[in-house]
Amino acid sequence: MRRRDFLKVAATSATGAVLFAGCGRIGDGVPESEFKIAQPVFNTNDWVYGRDAWFATAAPPDQGGYGLIVRVFEGRAKKVDGNPDFPGIHGKSDARAQALVQELYHPDRLSGARRATSRGSGQFQTIPWDSALQEVAQILREVGGEHAVLITGRLNASQAAIVAAFRKATGIRQAVLEPDEFVVLRTAIRRLFGVSTLPIPDLANARFLLNFSADFLHGWIAPVALAHAYGEFRQGKPGQRGLYYHVGPRLSGTAANADRWFPIIPGSEGLVALAIAQVLSTEGKAPQDRLDPYLTALGLDATRLASDYAPERVAPATGLSAEQIRELAHALVEHQPAVVIAGTSAAAATNGLFNLVATFGLNWILGSVNQPGGLLLNPEPPLPDLRVPDDAILSLRGWTELFEQIRSGTISTVLVYRANPVYALPSASGAREALQAAKHVVSFSPFLDETTTLADLVLPDQAWLEQWGLSVPDPGPGFAAVAIQQPVVAPFLDARAFGDVLLDLLRLLGQDQPWSTQEQATKALALQLRSLGRGSVTATNDKEFLVTLQARGGWWDEQSRATGSAPSTAAVQPREPAFAGEQNQFPYVLHPYPLPSLGYGELAHLPWLQGLPEPISTNVWQTWIEVSQATADELGLQTGDLVRVLTPQGVAELPVYVNPATQPGIIAIPFGQGHTAYTRYAEGRGVNPATLVAPETEPDTGTFAWAATRCRIEKTGRRARLARFEGMVPAFQLEEFPIVRVMAPKA
Amino acid sequence: MRYVRLILFVLIVLVVMAVPLALVLARSYFLAPTAQPVKAQPIQFPHSVHVQAVGLDCTYCHRNATTSAQATLPPLELCMQCHKIIPTQGRPELEKLVAAFQQGQPILWNKVHQLPDHTHFVHSVHLSFGFQCSTCHGDVGAMGKPGVKQVRDLRMGDCITCHQQNGARTDCSVCHY
Repeated sequence: MRRRDFLKVAATSATGAVLFAGCGRIGDGVPESEFKIAQPVFNTNDWVYGRDAWFATAAPPDQGGYGLIVRVFEGRAKKVDGNPDFPGIHGKSDARAQALVQELYHPDRLSGARRATSRGSGQFQTIPWDSALQEVAQILREVGGEHAVLITGRLNASQAAIVAAFRKATGIRQAVLEPDEFVVLRTAIRRLFGVSTLPIPDLANARFLLNFSADFLHGWIAPVALAHAYGEFRQGKPGQRGLYYHVGPRLSGTAANADRWFPIIPGSEGLVALAIAQVLSTEGKAPQDRLDPYLTALGLDATRLASDYAPERVAPATGLSAEQIRELAHALVEHQPAVVIAGTSAAAATNGLFNLVATFGLNWILGSVNQPGGLLLNPEPPLPDLRVPDDAILSLRGWTELFEQIRSGTISTVLVYRANPVYALPSASGAREALQAAKHVVSFSPFLDETTTLADLVLPDQAWLEQWGLSVPDPGPGFAAVAIQQPVVAPFLDARAFGDVLLDLLRLLGQDQPWSTQEQATKALALQLRSLGRGSVTATNDKEFLVTLQARGGWWDEQSRATGSAPSTAAVQPREPAFAGEQNQFPYVLHPYPLPSLGYGELAHLPWLQGLPEPISTNVWQTWIEVSQATADELGLQTGDLVRVLTPQGVAELPVYVNPATQPGIIAIPFGQGHTAYTRYAEGRGVNPATLVAPETEPDTGTFAWAATRCRIEKTGRRARLARFEGMVPAFQLEEFPIVRVMAPKA
Repeated sequence: MRYVRLILFVLIVLVVMAVPLALVLARSYFLAPTAQPVKAQPIQFPHSVHVQAVGLDCTYCHRNATTSAQATLPPLELCMQCHKIIPTQGRPELEKLVAAFQQGQPILWNKVHQLPDHTHFVHSVHLSFGFQCSTCHGDVGAMGKPGVKQVRDLRMGDCITCHQQNGARTDCSVCHY
């Protein structure tokens, strides 16, 4: 190239780049209302004193539905915290709750009803709400409820009541999408303790916690309540520090808090638990009346337990030594009261139900069910109308059958609310193909996620902080509790609450509306609580009851507790884990895990949560694989090397994070990323592990066993930068400011 | 002469590279909050009439500035305490105010001083330390129609510089909590 040409190109490209970057203004894409301040007509409360107002509301049901308070000023929600009055959480909250304000003010939230210009193009045009509602009503009128399905995420109690009325009037079928690990957990708890609600360990009063793989401090079923109780467990009683042993295949943030971590082969949690039961039984530390429910649940007798599950026999399949298993068993009886919990990857193995029954069942042997410091069962909601029916929760097997019905035309219309099966379920379920084949798809999601992109019509839901609702925390604090959700700000965008839309549809279909709005449904259900004549809210009239309920954020009754019942038949048979892929071709086990911040990817659209470091690696905003130091040495890998991960199901290129605490045979990968839509913060970022793991199922429940796939890794010779919070440069000593003071032991 | 061509080339490269640098700096300058034009408001409110002509103190309307975190806008009913006896005829801006009050419609102002939700700024602390409103907001009392203009950067760097100059704490939790 001539020098003159070089200068021309350099000048043009540099100027062009700068001009291109300079286009647009600060705040592009942010709703206009973001930059407005409303001058009220009359003095509002917060304006009078110039202080922030705090309104009580509730967390979304998939985050636990516990009580929150929100700081509001000048009509804007500024900060979310836990409700200090609400039982179990002691005024605490977590990052997911704090990020609710980002859902409210998200720049990509949908405003106004819209119709797809062509199905799947991702392009929509705004249409009036009335025509959108008329169109949906017309669709339901034409196809009839029996040829339609309503797919939802976990609903709160008032939404569930409205959906129940809608189902009754239209005959539509409902399918609930919940992470499969909770489907397994609910099944195990129902079969083992005879209750349909999730239990909560009374950590604050326990002296010993044995945890099998559950990431209870950062995710799982109730991270806020359990993280607070964990503080009490460790430091709440002077001179008596609770002892915590963690049994699991990966050193998660929760496992890193344990006094001891017992690394095991993935999926062998149940076998370890059986061997512990064998030790307690043969050493006479398990009274017969406590051992019986355990043996019944597992379809065993004492002889078979003693012969088949002795620590020496079980140890090779678990990765522990017989001595370590005995140590665990002895710790359980030496530190009473003790409690045993299990979950996360333990539930996502091909023997997930067995793992959970065998581990939770140890609480029967220890006599810690419903005892202080043990496992507290939760009662049914105080009113039957508040019960969120769990018969509609589908497992992967159920979803595959449903999508087959949609593909074959038996079901022609799909309504979907705050559920994203196209992303959350493995491609083998056929979710995408089914939605493409469906005659009509209507979404009520407030964001354009992968499923909503395939919709014909979108009727966006309001943000959680704009809605009314009643929420029954699941798990509860050990007794009956209900949180009330109320709008803390005026609606920010042109969206409508899902319940309001369903009730409008009932009106357009000429059906009776049990309530006119979601607000009215919430209040009517709340007043039914008053008619019980018990609980924490007392009032002389309905209005006083509602005002007090809203101010306190909920209703609870410490006397209303669950009793539960011992199993009378076998809940599951003992089973060893199985893995997809031949060991000689795929030498490692691929071990996915949900992120504390993004969960299974449902919160990847919130930038605060994207930027929250994973507790062990401190990585953010991407997907990576964790490999052990031994594997890295063997393959010549360093942190930041790009490798190809191959499984029987798929291939992905990912950067490596070398973690000395990872087990040599395991490659760990976080869930959360890999979205192909779902706003600017999630789209096109990382890899969804559900595309890599084989669609194995747990045979008893039919759930997705996402921790049951083998893999191998190949070097690509390329590198990628990992965004992470921990230092990239190794620390070095300065003579004058030593960063580590080395102290030699005294001779 | 041997090096003239090389020096010339280097000079030209420097000039070429200076163009984008100048553009970057210009962009930064013109997008700075203080360089923005006065925002169009639903009502062209003249602070000058209220402060200079009538003699009202800032806190007559922004009642909570000295006692709380927020300075607060006055509700329309406060405006109407005076404006119910001030003729509106021939004053279209005043007609908008009265119409909004009569229809019970809040007025949506365009925020001039935009603070992110994750930042706490406590007006009362700054005023009790001895700062005037004008330290941050400029001489608002002299600003007539079309409305208020931001005169100071007020981004985080500005806050931190001022805190350092006045011996105030600069750790994150002072403002982000």
